Parts: sequence; structure tokens; C-alpha cells
Amino acid sequence: MAMILYHGEPNGPSLAVLAALGESGVDAQCRRIDLLAGARHTLPDVTEPLARDMGVEGEGPVLVVDGEAMTESVFIAQFLDESGANTLQPKDAYAHWQMLMWCRRITERCAPAAAFLGCKASAQPVLAGMDEAAFTALSTTIASEDLRARWTAVRAGNFPDEQLADSVTKVTDAAKKVEDQLADGREWLMGDLTIADFETYGWLAGMVDLVPDAFAGKDRLSGWLARVAARPSVQAALARASVPNPQSSWAPGPEINRWG
Amino acid sequence: MAQVTLYHWEPNANSGKPMLALMEKGVQFDSHYIDMLNFDQHKPEYLAINPQGTIPAMTHGTRVLVESTAIMEYVNAEFDGPDLMPANAQDRWRIRWWMKFMDQWLAPSFSMFGWKFFVGPNALAAHGQDKIEAQIARIPLPERQTAWRKAVFGLFSEAEMAESGRRIGVGIQMLEAELGKREWLASDQYSLADVNGFNLAYAMPLSQPHLANDEVTPNIMRWLRAIYRRPATRECWKLGRTPMASRVEILEQDYIPPRDESEGISSGVR
Repeated sequence: MAMILYHGEPNGPSLAVLAALGESGVDAQCRRIDLLAGARHTLPDVTEPLARDMGVEGEGPVLVVDGEAMTESVFIAQFLDESGANTLQPKDAYAHWQMLMWCRRITERCAPAAAFLGCKASAQPVLAGMDEAAFTALSTTIASEDLRARWTAVRAGNFPDEQLADSVTKVTDAAKKVEDQLADGREWLMGDLTIADFETYGWLAGMVDLVPDAFAGKDRLSGWLARVAARPSVQAALARASVPNPQSSWAPGPEINRWG
Repeated sequence: MAQVTLYHWEPNANSGKPMLALMEKGVQFDSHYIDMLNFDQHKPEYLAINPQGTIPAMTHGTRVLVESTAIMEYVNAEFDGPDLMPANAQDRWRIRWWMKFMDQWLAPSFSMFGWKFFVGPNALAAHGQDKIEAQIARIPLPERQTAWRKAVFGLFSEAEMAESGRRIGVGIQMLEAELGKREWLASDQYSLADVNGFNLAYAMPLSQPHLANDEVTPNIMRWLRAIYRRPATRECWKLGRTPMASRVEILEQDYIPPRDESEGISSGVR
């Protein structure tokens, strides 16, 4: 079964999945694509595009297996782990539930916030610089109406103050959650190294420069960031970057919760 | 074996997911009915179990679990009984994908319609605005307070309602197309995705009669009736105490014709 992993610069969910792939030992071909050029929406040889088109995660990586586009970084990481070394998920059902709950806190609260702040800092200038015809051509390839609206908002520089403040709060909460989780001296978030470490690292690493106050004085968090960064799987992922600072590469992510 | 206790509301949406999963697995559990519209979930005795005040919650011995879909995954992995996750890793991925899509994208839109036209007005009529305001003020998480105010008082903008309506339409079409590919939602065997999806979709022929019926969504109707026929589903829906749960009886009809949108939303049966 041939697998192709289409990923953006190694940051956010693309970094999380590249790292999980490295840990899993699964043989998949990695192809870096330009997310901000809309490349994710015109991938070749996709016969089952639904998950790519309608995924909640936004511009996350896409693993194509037998023509089926697989998305959502946590679930791709689970798939790779279960198809390979099987070391990144707790075997005990309760510990596994704890890992899933951790990942949901990150994907539902931290990820939309990080993508929002990251897009303001780095994606907005790129999209604003596109001419109208090019952006229109790109946006017509995006099947999901709400994802398309998030692209349009980024291009327009539509970042309301209230959502910016809320996003800083959510990133700060996530940083504190990591600091607190490590209070008992554990090396990794769940004790053993799991998908939660990579998912959390992917979304938080790029926030160190954008929300420095969230990280200030948090020594356990800093140590953990350094440990994750030092993993050979993460180093290999970062080596796939085409830019000097991949942690400042962002593309439209998950939507901010509509229920407030 | 350690005692299992489930704190739940009606067999519907989030509460119904772990209820039905436990029933399918044949796990004996203590059922604690939480009257959500009486805000039982924010009373001290429940907050002592789940400080977030969300429903459902499950205890297994000394373990406390929350979040309906994550509880289902725990139930399936921890207990004997029929496996509700297939062996194939790609099938498991698809099940997880559909559950997240339903939980985060589609269900909140159904929920907005349900609260606006049915649950919210009923709660106000039953308890009055002052009592409800006071109870919302006691909710621990600020964002949950915001969500509750919006829900009970129907504070959704026209744009929000329109977007939810759009998502309901898109989501129903996606379900119909997917159920045209295989017997069950996300794999060739009955799985957690079906348990999740049934809780979201069982009342659609009543609430969205123009979008879900035997003429326009025959695959969805076949799938809903197949799940309704399962003994676990029958047992589960017996735990309902309000007219909400009895909506499931629509699935006893062999043929449900299309009806006008207004017959669903304004008829009060939502």
C-alpha cells in the first residue's frame, strides 16, 4: 500500500504528523507542498477527497492511502502509529482516554488560537500580496465554504481584537497546562512519549516568538520544548523545511468555536 | 469488576453516545439521570463528580471520564463484548474522522436549531427567566456560561442560524453519500461512528422533514432503521423520560414522505 504524505513547512499539524511518521517507522513518501498557494486542494490521484475537503483542521497535512485523503493530524498520527511501531499511544484504556482528552484540549482550544495568531503574523501578508485573479482562482478550489471564508478573512486582515485577545488567552492556557502537567518531574506529557507531545509541540513551538509572555518563567515547559525538539523524528521533520524559520509558517487552521 | 456509573440526560446527542455504547457492549451500569433543563449538572453533588458540569460523565471504580466520544472509545477498549472498532487501521481512522466531524462541525449546528426552536423555549416555559439566569451564573467555565445563555435565550444571530442551516444541509448530503458507499457509516461493520451518528441523526425525519426522508435520503433512512432495530437501541431509548426520546418512534414507519420545512421547525416536535 503506497502512502504519500503531503505536508506544509514543518510546523503546526504538519510537524506533528511528520514526527509521528518518523517515530512509527512507516514507509511513506513525504512531499512538501505550498499550503498558502492552495496546493492542498489540487492534489493528484485523490479518489476520496471528502476528508481533505471537509476536515475540521483546515490546512493540515494530507496522507493519501489508496486514493483516500486522510486528514486530522491526531488521527493520522494514530493511523501511522497503529500501522507501524505502535509506541505512541498508551495501552491502558484510561491512560489512552487521558491522551485523547489532552489532544482534544489542544486541537479544540489551542490550535484555532495558534493558527489565528500565526496567520495574522505571517500568512496575511502573503495572501494580501496576491492579485485578485490569482486569489479567486485559488479560493474556487477550496470545497468547504467555511474554510474558504477563513482564507478570505486572513487575506483581508480581518482579525477582530476580541478574538486576538481570546487567542492569546488560549495559547497562554495551553502553555500553563504543559507547565503544570510536568510538575511531578515527568519527561513527557503523558509519562511516556505519545502523540500528545508532538501535537502540542506542533501548535506551541511557533507561539514562543508570538506570545512570549505565555512562556516566560516556565522552566519545565522550556525543558520539554527542548526535549521534543531534540527527538530525531522532529529533527528529521525540521530538515524538510524550505525556509529558515518553519515555525513562522502558518496557513488557515481550525475555526474558532462558533458557540463562543 | 469495578462499578460503572453513567450520569446522563436523555438518550440523545452527547448523553446517548455512551449510553448506547454501554448497551451494545452489554456492560451493566448504574444509570443516573441528570435533568439538564433543571440544571442538575451544575449542582454541588454533580460538580463533585465532574467539576466542569458537562454531561455525560462516567465513573468506573475510582476513574472519572468525561466527553461523550472519548468515553465511548474507553468503553469499547476497556470492556468485553462486541468490538465497536474494526481491526483495520484505516477504518479506525475513518471512524475517528467522522466522529470529530459530527461532534465539532455538524452537531453544533443541529444543536443550535434544537435550542432555538425546541429546548430553549421549553426550558424558559418550565423554569422562568430569573431562575435560569441564576443557575447559569453558577457555571464554572465562563465560555460555558456564554454558550448556555445563547442556547436558553436563543441569542443566535441571523447569520449564525443561516450558517447552521447551511451546515445541516451539507452534512445530511455527506451522510447520504457516505452511506451509499457501504452498509455502515465509516466501515463495513457497525462501529462507534454509527452509535455517534444515530444520536445525531435519529430525529432528522421529524426536525428536517424536507431534507431527510425516504425520497431524498434513502440511504440514511435504511441506516437509521437498521440501528433502530438493534436490541441495544431499544433498551437505550427506554431510559428517556421526555417526549424528546419518543421521537425515535418515527423510525417504525416503513415510509416517510418528504414534508415541508415548516412542518419540522414550527411544529414543536423538534
